[in-house]
Amino acid sequence: MQPYELSLNAAAEAIRARQLSPVELADSVLERVEQVDPHLQAYVTVTAEHARRAAREAENDIAAGHYRGPLHGIPMGLKDLIDVAGAATSASSRVRADHRAQADSTVAARLSAAGAILVGKTHTHEFAYGLTTPQTNNAWDTGRIAGGSSGGSSVAVAAGTATFTLGTDTGGSIRVPAALNGVVGFKPTYGLVSRHGITSLSWSLDHVGPITRTVEDAALVLTALVGHDPRDPASLPAPGTDYRPVADADLTGLRVGVPRTYFFDHVDAEVEAAVRRAINQLRTLGARLVDVEIPMTRYIQATQWGLMVPEATAYHERTLRTVPELYQADVRILLEAGELMPAGDYLRAQRARTLMRQEWARMLQDVDLVAAPTVPATAVKAGQETITWADGTVEGVSDAYVRLSSPANITGLPSLSVPVGHDAAGLPIGMQLLGRPLGESVLMRVGHAYEQTQPARELARAA
Amino acid sequence: MSCAELTPPEAARWAARTGLPLPADRHAAVAATANHIHSVVAVLRELDFGDTPPAPAYRAEQEMHDAAV
Repeated sequence: MQPYELSLNAAAEAIRARQLSPVELADSVLERVEQVDPHLQAYVTVTAEHARRAAREAENDIAAGHYRGPLHGIPMGLKDLIDVAGAATSASSRVRADHRAQADSTVAARLSAAGAILVGKTHTHEFAYGLTTPQTNNAWDTGRIAGGSSGGSSVAVAAGTATFTLGTDTGGSIRVPAALNGVVGFKPTYGLVSRHGITSLSWSLDHVGPITRTVEDAALVLTALVGHDPRDPASLPAPGTDYRPVADADLTGLRVGVPRTYFFDHVDAEVEAAVRRAINQLRTLGARLVDVEIPMTRYIQATQWGLMVPEATAYHERTLRTVPELYQADVRILLEAGELMPAGDYLRAQRARTLMRQEWARMLQDVDLVAAPTVPATAVKAGQETITWADGTVEGVSDAYVRLSSPANITGLPSLSVPVGHDAAGLPIGMQLLGRPLGESVLMRVGHAYEQTQPARELARAA
Repeated sequence: MSCAELTPPEAARWAARTGLPLPADRHAAVAATANHIHSVVAVLRELDFGDTPPAPAYRAEQEMHDAAV
């Protein structure tokens, strides 16, 4: 096994035991980038020189007895919406051609303090306003979409060109591409991880979180990210917690909600079968399956759009007036049309959010978490615009991919996407675990327990 | 087209009122997209909100209280 193939936890253990040096790991990952990124296009920029220098410093620090913890010397990618001092935050957009971040975002600063090493900035669907990331190719089949908007971050982890990455998630943008590329994606509870220094799509729906090869890896990164930050008005006063799951895979007594409605409607048969197999695996581990009724499903898309569309347009107000021609066509038209939404519609969506979170809170009194597909279909071919379901219904690709993930953005609940197999074409399938507010540890425990029943996952084959 | 839908000239006028003058070749596309967004969001008008206040942003502490977890 080459160092670039190691999970974060395995690499950290090897570094801590002085069996692997951060320089060897960084060199291995950078060679992998040179080898496969020309086909995958996960990265906007690769900071090879910086990474090698930081790896040498990490090696020296650790040799001198200054080991900082499991992220020390670990190569990472950051979605190019996340500020790193002195580097451009391109948002994968021509609008940001001359951008230069003055300071680190809170998450970049926290990861740097933990000793993680930046390999580069990864592609996003332009300004995170889309679900495909057209610049980047799927790690399992380069003729298919990466998913988005954190497409580059997900492909990099799947292909071994970063040991972990960060993504952002406003309607599913961590979990959708994680599912489509066979990696773990975690959207924390709203407010748990600071968004200071991260380009916003929609303030009241935006989250930032890890994309990793295993659930345990996601827990390690989350532990480094969490902490109150007065510079993000949504930031919660969260105490320091170690989210690393316990080794015990016994789920006896845990109640897992299985949706009777919504989450299995218009879902590909192979996706449904794989997710139901995984849910049954949770039962084998001792969990009790409980049917649940998902509330207010008719109003999910309307609420998501009613919040996101005007907030996104507001963020881009200035540049939409000065350099509209620099936006891609799909993003520009949404920003322009967003100008025409009345304030009444926005307030209605905010009031619907109040009702929806009350109803979800009631539902979550009966179960400890809900298990469902992350996305209703595996990765479609590049350029495909619609999906036709078995009953003849035609749905836009982006509408389909966001459909099952946006409830966690509206309600703010934590949501973990875990790979649960492949379809007949070899494309990855993801299962989503939705928890109670600040129920991160439960999700990590359940996801980790499931992973322990499965063979270790290999890197994506298209790479 | 229903009476609630914006025509391209109306979309251009509304956009101008927001301070966003649209080139003529964008009026039809912006009107079509705005009408589609409207059709999605308009279902919220079915809800009787009563005294329900807006949730400008989510607060986990409130959820913790509601959910009694």
